[in-house]
Amino acid sequence: MTVKRRSKPVSVNPLKIGQSLGGVLAMQGCYRAMPIVHGSQGCSAFPKALLTRHFREPIAVQTSALQEMDVIFDANRNLEEALNAVLSKHRPDIIGIIGTELTDVAGVDYQSMLKSYKRERNMRGGLAFSVTLPDFRGSLESGYSVTVEAMVDELIQQAGLRGQRNVNSRQITLLPGSYLTPGDVMELKEIVSSFGFEVIALPDISTSLSGHLLTGFSPLTRGGVPLDSMLQSLQSGLTIAFGASMERPARRLHNALGTPYKVFQGTMGLKASDELLNFLHQISGVPVPIRYCWQRENLLDCMLDAHFQFAGVSALAALEPDHLRSVSEWLDELGVEQKALITSYETPVVAEMEREVWVGDLDDAEVLGSGADLWISSSHGIAGAERIGAAFLAAGFPIWNELGSYMNVSVGYRGAMEWTNKAGNLLMRREAEHRESRVRHR
Amino acid sequence: MEPIRKEELDDQACGSLAPKSKPCPRPKPGEAAGGCSFDGAQITLLPIMDAAHLVHGPVACAGNSWESRGSLSSGPSLSQYGFATDLSNNDIIFGGEKKLKDSIDYIAGRFAPPAIFVYSTCVTALIGEDMDAVCKEASDRLAIPIVPVNSPGFVGSKNLGNRLAGDALLQYVIGTGEPEQETPLGVNLIGEYNIAGEMWDIEKLMNQAGITLLSRITGDARYKEITWAHRAKANMVVCSRALLGLAKQMESKYGIPYFEGSFYGAKETTYSLRQMAFLLNDREMERRVDRLTEREENRLAHDLRPYRKILKGKKAVLYTGGVKSWSVISALKELGIQVVGVGTNKSSDEDVQRIADRVGDDTEYIPEGGASRIIKTVKERKADIMIAGGRNMYVAMKEQIPFVDINQERHKAYAGYEGLLRLAKELVDSMVNPIWKLASSPAPWDKEGNYDR
Repeated sequence: MTVKRRSKPVSVNPLKIGQSLGGVLAMQGCYRAMPIVHGSQGCSAFPKALLTRHFREPIAVQTSALQEMDVIFDANRNLEEALNAVLSKHRPDIIGIIGTELTDVAGVDYQSMLKSYKRERNMRGGLAFSVTLPDFRGSLESGYSVTVEAMVDELIQQAGLRGQRNVNSRQITLLPGSYLTPGDVMELKEIVSSFGFEVIALPDISTSLSGHLLTGFSPLTRGGVPLDSMLQSLQSGLTIAFGASMERPARRLHNALGTPYKVFQGTMGLKASDELLNFLHQISGVPVPIRYCWQRENLLDCMLDAHFQFAGVSALAALEPDHLRSVSEWLDELGVEQKALITSYETPVVAEMEREVWVGDLDDAEVLGSGADLWISSSHGIAGAERIGAAFLAAGFPIWNELGSYMNVSVGYRGAMEWTNKAGNLLMRREAEHRESRVRHR
Repeated sequence: MEPIRKEELDDQACGSLAPKSKPCPRPKPGEAAGGCSFDGAQITLLPIMDAAHLVHGPVACAGNSWESRGSLSSGPSLSQYGFATDLSNNDIIFGGEKKLKDSIDYIAGRFAPPAIFVYSTCVTALIGEDMDAVCKEASDRLAIPIVPVNSPGFVGSKNLGNRLAGDALLQYVIGTGEPEQETPLGVNLIGEYNIAGEMWDIEKLMNQAGITLLSRITGDARYKEITWAHRAKANMVVCSRALLGLAKQMESKYGIPYFEGSFYGAKETTYSLRQMAFLLNDREMERRVDRLTEREENRLAHDLRPYRKILKGKKAVLYTGGVKSWSVISALKELGIQVVGVGTNKSSDEDVQRIADRVGDDTEYIPEGGASRIIKTVKERKADIMIAGGRNMYVAMKEQIPFVDINQERHKAYAGYEGLLRLAKELVDSMVNPIWKLASSPAPWDKEGNYDR
């Protein structure tokens, strides 16, 4: 099906989140890391505030704090100053320089600056890389995957491997997409490792943004995958990517090291979970652990119980591309009419979907989804859902109206069950409210 | 070549016409925190609730920032919509002025707002968009005010953005309208943004004292009321760092006297109300204010008694920007709390002086950001609570330090007499929470000597 756009000159209630925020998010999944946003102060302050609000955790990020004249004369002087400050004060293991639309439009060459900086300082032992993530292309999802790709490239370079790998066939590298919560990543690690594999997630927000109480303050990331595990991951016998956007980093590993990879585009619902577990069963030769067999039964029973609730119901979803695809598959399994599917930017995966997908904003969601019973989007959609009278299910980024949303699980049988129950409960409550307002008082 | 730092802007002292205090410091790369000028301009103007706020630039400047303020509205909510021209690669190459014009037309046609504020961003400023001309043309054609706000992120700090927004108000809005009815004793509140509904508490007090609130700049404001702000008899500047310049210019342009005040703490509140009555030069009103403040203070003292018992002698570290750094100190002192550390990051010289007037000699000044610095002060001074903005909240939680959020993202109103009571309750609730004991004791199996082996 084709991807459509409503024609209007202005974006009203944007769904899109800047690419650079995706880059900052990816860096949070690495231990002792520091992203430096090469732009004006707001380019790092906004992502920091938004990520803090969503995850309810401190977020590590710094800025080159560009001002007008710096941009005109020598933006890299600021970057050098920022690098000096961060390196001398915090000694991070991993530095990611994130170029913004500002440095992009001004044509600042920080890639070669970083190269010569690394050469001059004789920087070894850590990772330092740069990415270009202007906001006028892509969205959170692309910013995240491009950053992971650059990270993988840098890892390969750092390790200096040329074909002489000790492949560990019992070790798998996971590349979780940007839409997966820390709870999701944790669940995926657990599912894969239950088949007897060693698992390294890259990046791993399940150990950094899942809420923990490590003491001792550090402005660097706390938790996440440590550098030596990252280097270790190059020995993996297989890469599993979740979300189509993660195929590119998987392909880098394949091209450079020959690591085979498998991409799961869908991560939600019975079929997607079946596919994953069956795949793991096939490659490991290990029978599917009994608890997943149970969970499958549980999910089917839950879907039977819930189908009364979902019959004749219509929904709209406004999410990042990979997430939208996943959620749409789950809605299909429930037999829910999909009134409108809106995404932030066009990717091959949404273009290939069998349903009509719109690239647009939350105002489009309101117009196209008018009359829908269920509204699935980030917290930015609350007002719109209220205006069209739909039940609101928070998903994606950012979510600020719920506690613990970062621990929500959507993957595996357990995730599908969690979502099905949550959505069903919302619809039940909405129905009850409608009924109440229709009671005749004598 | 040595880059030229923007001397001109820096020479302008924060908030004043004549250079008096030190210029806003240049943020240090790699150690900077806080927002940019674009952010600052938005903070100042977004509380004009019925206006449309259009961001001219790539989508994320709006996409990453809309709906992030705790400014409440008593009615219209158009300012909560996120509007962006959403420039693409091509727009940047060929220019986005046409798109801006179309966007303005679209918003005017569909939402019929009383005014549209158009914000420049780094990218549109860099490629040299003539936003003023587009706004002027559209304004003439559509016959609604369209106000360009030239405060791209890279011109400087959030604070500078506040001031640039004030300039936009002065240039395009104030003085363009007349009040519906003559109000001989009207006061403007400048730099009060109705965070968590604080303005409403203040407004109630002013009403009780018989003082008319003429224009709210800009908490829960309607566009129209700002156009007639020049008819006020006095201005009160609530957040001085941000919009003091606006008050000064209104004084020289319209002859409106102003004073700087705060509503944090009973003493400050009483002072502010008295000062209003004094500037309005009305004897009867002064007497009314005296009666009101006395009654309110007595009632507050009574209500506060149980809280003060708990709070007396407790130590706090206060880390916040601008006016709150000193005004909250008074409030805390009234509750019996000793401020052992205070952030001066975003304070002007006058602010620092005010802080010094209010704290003891052994209070530590925390000049610049960095959560580690704040934590260190909390630990060294054995503070019982940390009072700061949302950005540092989770840092405190990790260290298991009781915390009260004082900045713009919070949900509780602390202004006025009612507000002080609320603050006292919040502080106590935070400090006596059972979580602190639970979090600091180990799991049973980690306790030593638990079992006889």
